[in-house]
Amino acid sequence: MEIKSEILYNDRVAGGYFRLGLACRFPEAKPGQFVMLRVSDGLDPLLRRPFGIYRTLGTFGRALGAKGSPSKMKGIELLYRVVGKGTAILSGRRPGETLGVLGPLGNGFPDPAEGSSVVLVAGGMGIAPLYLLAKRLGAGTLLFGARSKAENVLLKDFRGLGLRIKTATEDGSAGIKGLVTGLLEDELTPESVVYACGPVGMLKAAAAISEKAGARCLVSLERSMACGIGVCLGCAVRTKEHRGEKESRFYKMVCSDGPVFQSEEVDWALL
Amino acid sequence: MGPVIRKGKAASGVTIAGLEFKNPVMTASGTFGYGAEFAPYVDLGRLGAIVVKGLSLYPRQGNPGPRIAETPCGMLNAIGLQNVGVDDFIEKKLPLIRGAGTHIIANVFGETVEDYMEVAGRLDRAKGVSAVEVNISCPNVKKGGMVFGTDPQEAFKVVSAVRKSTRLPVITKLSPNVTDIKVMVKAAEDGGTDAVSLINTITGMAIDVDRRRPVLATATGGLSGPAIRPIAVRMVWQAAQAATVPVIGMGGIMTARDALEFIIAGATAVQVGTASFIEPDAAVKVAEGIEEYLSRNAMSIQDLIGSLRVA
Ligand SMILES: Cc1cc2nc3c(=O)[nH]c(=O)nc-3n(C[C@H](O)[C@H](O)[C@H](O)COP(=O)(O)OP(=O)(O)OC[C@H]3O[C@@H](n4cnc5c(N)ncnc54)[C@H](O)[C@@H]3O)c2cc1C
Ligand SMILES: Cc1cc2nc3c(=O)[nH]c(=O)nc-3n(C[C@H](O)[C@H](O)[C@H](O)COP(=O)(O)O)c2cc1C
Ligand code: FES
Repeated sequence: MEIKSEILYNDRVAGGYFRLGLACRFPEAKPGQFVMLRVSDGLDPLLRRPFGIYRTLGTFGRALGAKGSPSKMKGIELLYRVVGKGTAILSGRRPGETLGVLGPLGNGFPDPAEGSSVVLVAGGMGIAPLYLLAKRLGAGTLLFGARSKAENVLLKDFRGLGLRIKTATEDGSAGIKGLVTGLLEDELTPESVVYACGPVGMLKAAAAISEKAGARCLVSLERSMACGIGVCLGCAVRTKEHRGEKESRFYKMVCSDGPVFQSEEVDWALL
Repeated sequence: MGPVIRKGKAASGVTIAGLEFKNPVMTASGTFGYGAEFAPYVDLGRLGAIVVKGLSLYPRQGNPGPRIAETPCGMLNAIGLQNVGVDDFIEKKLPLIRGAGTHIIANVFGETVEDYMEVAGRLDRAKGVSAVEVNISCPNVKKGGMVFGTDPQEAFKVVSAVRKSTRLPVITKLSPNVTDIKVMVKAAEDGGTDAVSLINTITGMAIDVDRRRPVLATATGGLSGPAIRPIAVRMVWQAAQAATVPVIGMGGIMTARDALEFIIAGATAVQVGTASFIEPDAAVKVAEGIEEYLSRNAMSIQDLIGSLRVA
């Protein structure tokens, strides 16, 4: 569904991180799904930008004036980091203005099998699509990696969801010093299910560590996107499939086949 | 008394190669999937035609990523013509849109003249295909990868071969990567084409200066979007002056006003490409805007086609 959504708030969380509240009556979004946002109506930037759905907003607490009955309004919240032209423009958009939103898109995270222990692994901004999942599961471990302590503000909403939280920072200013994947091995048993989102290097390491431990690992991938609905064929990642002895390799689309993939099906050499 | 205002809908209908289109707006190949993907966003029946993703004899995997890169007011793509192949299209994709209430145009390509003939021949027997659009911007493996569409002799060979292998109307889609587009229009007409469409993407390149590497895995790609529109309008204008068959114009159309430029330059119809990625219903909006323009100016589309006055 493509809709014009009113911006409810667009607040700086810390540093270059922002929370964007949008009024849109989406059917219940699944954890791991995303939207394509048109950050401005101009021609540059031309393409929409993909953002994970951070959380869904129920009925709004505040009145929305004559635009609609507040009791029927629903919304979503996105969490984003300013990294380039599009996100910089987005951070300047004001409440009351409208944005074109296409979504919810993609296949979200599958539920873990009964009795498995869940480990969420997030690198920096990669934490965004894990909130809805964490809330739904209400248990498990969250491993969060960041460059430094300041980014730990992103954990605020995750406290109180019933998760064990462990952190790593590259500069050692909070948690262990080093990469978040350094925390992963000790958490795993063959009954674990790992859900990972973050930079490619982190995902690759999380996949390798999980596979070694015999644990299932689901990764949420990012690719530049033009359409978000599986038609431009621009966001391809190569995947492999084993049928007995035979291995076949073919492309899947991150937007419509993903963004969540089983780690073993991803051809990491090509990412 | 003022002029009689003709009803918008009828006034924007056009005929190309004996096919009647309810309006002059089609979707461009490769930007609208196989059509059905857009059904949740667009009333397909309001389109003049759907041109589907380029089809080859066998399924094609396409290129490694990154396949796309955004550039100012445009995008580069190097998809590598990934598609399900003509047989799967006929069997699995075509039935999904056959009843959509619009013309379905199959875009075809090959690496040899024989490939083109075989694909067009199979489409000839498929129920629900109104025409074939021949993408000649494809490397010719027998000529060391030289693109068919940049050599008039090769273009002639492809078009005349396709012409013989199907009874369907043939539209030849021209490459803009040539010095003189009129020569290519002539080659396609000599080959027996019923119409020409242009422009396909313009070869371009973007470089990541931090990594000192091309952004696309294939180094170069095809540029599309509003960035190419002035070039496209110029080429359509030149083609329309040379052509005896109808011209279908495209390249960077985002709005009805953009489309009107092409029609005034001489295009009988237009195609909307990259815009559908940004607004899935862009083509329908363009069609509505053209109808509005016609009724506001009390004109029919025929009055408008090629109505450009120079100097
Ligand atoms: C499924 C998915 C979910 C995402 N969720 C979030 C989220 O919740 N929060 C968040 O902050 N970011 C998220 N991203 C990344 C976000 O889309 C990019 O940071 C953003 O597109 C950058 O736009 P820009 O114009 O500021 O950057 P520019 O670098 O100027 O963008 C140039 C081009 O590169 C593309 N691009 C650049 N970086 C990325 C990237 N990391 N991933 C995909 N495309 C990129 C842009 O789409 C654009 O086409 C997600 C990406 C994907 C694919
Ligand atoms: C992602 C992408 C894929 C395309 N695939 C095809 C194709 O398969 N066959 C073809 O003839 N043209 C293809 N094109 C070219 C378009 O049909 C069109 O000629 C071009 O993009 C210019 O129009 P636009 O600026 O409106 O997009 C493709 C364009 C894009 C952007
Ligand atoms: S972004 Fe177009 S296919 Fe995925």
